[in-house]
Amino acid sequence: MFTQLRLELLKLVRSRGFYLSFAALSAFVLLLLWGFYSYAQQKTSGLATAQFKYTYESKSYFNGLTFTLYSLMFAFSLVIPIFVAMNAGCQVAGERRAGTLRMICIRPVSRVSIVLSKFLVVAIHTYLLLAFFIGLNLLVGLLFVGWGNLELYPGPLNLVDEPGRLLRDDALWRFLYASFSGTWALLVVAALAMLLSVLFDNPVTAVATTLAVYLMLYIVGRIEFFVSLRPFFFTTDMDFWRVVLKPEVPWHNFYHYVATCGAYIFGLLLTAVFIFDRQDITN
Amino acid sequence: MWLKFLLGACFVLSLLGALVLELGPPRADAGSRGDIRDVSDKIDRGQDARSLRLLTWNIGNGELEAETRAHAEDLLAVAGVIMDNDADAVALQELTGEDQLKLLLTHLKNHYRGYVCSRGKGDRVEAVLVRDRSDGSERGDRSDRSLRFSDVPAGDRFAAAATFRLHQDVPEIVFISAHADAFSASRRRTFAADVVDWARSRTKNELAFVAGDFNFEVSTRNKTNLFTDDAKHDSESYAYLLKYFRDLGLDAGETSINDRRIDYVFGPGETVSLRRAEVLRGVAVGRMDHLPLLVEVALWSL
Repeated sequence: MFTQLRLELLKLVRSRGFYLSFAALSAFVLLLLWGFYSYAQQKTSGLATAQFKYTYESKSYFNGLTFTLYSLMFAFSLVIPIFVAMNAGCQVAGERRAGTLRMICIRPVSRVSIVLSKFLVVAIHTYLLLAFFIGLNLLVGLLFVGWGNLELYPGPLNLVDEPGRLLRDDALWRFLYASFSGTWALLVVAALAMLLSVLFDNPVTAVATTLAVYLMLYIVGRIEFFVSLRPFFFTTDMDFWRVVLKPEVPWHNFYHYVATCGAYIFGLLLTAVFIFDRQDITN
Repeated sequence: MWLKFLLGACFVLSLLGALVLELGPPRADAGSRGDIRDVSDKIDRGQDARSLRLLTWNIGNGELEAETRAHAEDLLAVAGVIMDNDADAVALQELTGEDQLKLLLTHLKNHYRGYVCSRGKGDRVEAVLVRDRSDGSERGDRSDRSLRFSDVPAGDRFAAAATFRLHQDVPEIVFISAHADAFSASRRRTFAADVVDWARSRTKNELAFVAGDFNFEVSTRNKTNLFTDDAKHDSESYAYLLKYFRDLGLDAGETSINDRRIDYVFGPGETVSLRRAEVLRGVAVGRMDHLPLLVEVALWSL
């Protein structure tokens, strides 16, 4: 199992997709920095301050921590899942497409350990992506936007119902928690992609189907027509990751969603393992 | 084989965990609200408190109606709700003008005195009603000479304000009936800031309450996570109100069609305690698209 894991890690770090994911996230951070910076400038100077004398449109609101929060919120839902699905969807179907799966399966390792080692590599990649993204945002935020407390207001991001504040050090800890809770939430997408990777011969089909299911549920879950269906979507449960950024974390709800996402992850993985275990692998 | 068992065990444990750890109350991010409530409760128990009932209601009609302002034929029912709930002061929005106020006061058997604000650029006005106790028949210890009405200039419109004394033992009360723009978040923000500033400038020892239809919704149940200027403006309006007031109807529920909570009663944060906040369901008549919000607070003697 550990040898298998080491081999999979080697494959990951040697693949171009691995570096592409970090490069794309870096580009996203730069894009967001430009948008955030120009927006903050526009809103905290000249006509804006003359028109709106009060409230939180002040220079202290727009700081590195706020920048990181916005950046993370936007990227988590629509950017990072793409790379997670790409990596996980290519794991088995990619080997099959390359013709190496049969060779792997004739080695004296169980098929369960093959699937699990591949999934563990996906989990490591997911955590690295998220940790890198948060770290880069904090660094860029510190260097280019400035430092301060994390001010939270109801409305944008829908994080709190009343204004609240996280002191700088506490906010940094919360971002660390978010890297773990976010990884756990994203592993639902990874497990789905893994299952589809086992089912489909073509990695593109596996990745595209994963993203199609994820985006469909994500979008449908945000349309009021489907409000009664919303609790049954895994995308709704995945949203739990961000509650660690609330001033007072609702831990009971947090554990509930951790367990729900765990059920999705292990359920999908178990299905993938059972299918892969009985699969006839041909060229 | 043990890996399969491990996976299966993890799956079963997660499933059980999800079932056992049921979701708690939806709002755990209450910030400082809990502290305020604790302080209020202590004061409420420790001193002789007097009750103040405030009601706010946008009595206009839904967009499908030819006339979206209040309908004269609905005013009898509106008066019934006010009387049934024994409101001390009422904030009404979307009246056509002073004629409707006079008709409503007649339906209220002149137990209330009222005022409509200036029209401004709009086609509808806001009204504020205060129970008239000058006859001394009920809790008749309020000097009626203390009752004053005024316009509150806010943005490009007006709100209506009443200043009155509920009892000689409690501070004077400033009650504002407000209606923010339905279509522009930027105008809502200017309006909210002006109303708050007016209330703060007119109150030293008085207790200020701001009630009405603010047309913004900042609940976490809106799952559109993407940032918009409108969302930010509304967020800032609400944040500015909460900087000086407490959202007394926070837990009362939705006040408008499509499950929206856009009608509010804001009051002092620490000097009153909340006894009741309730959206009166099933009382809207005709094509009204709002429900009345009733808030009861305890005031204590000076």
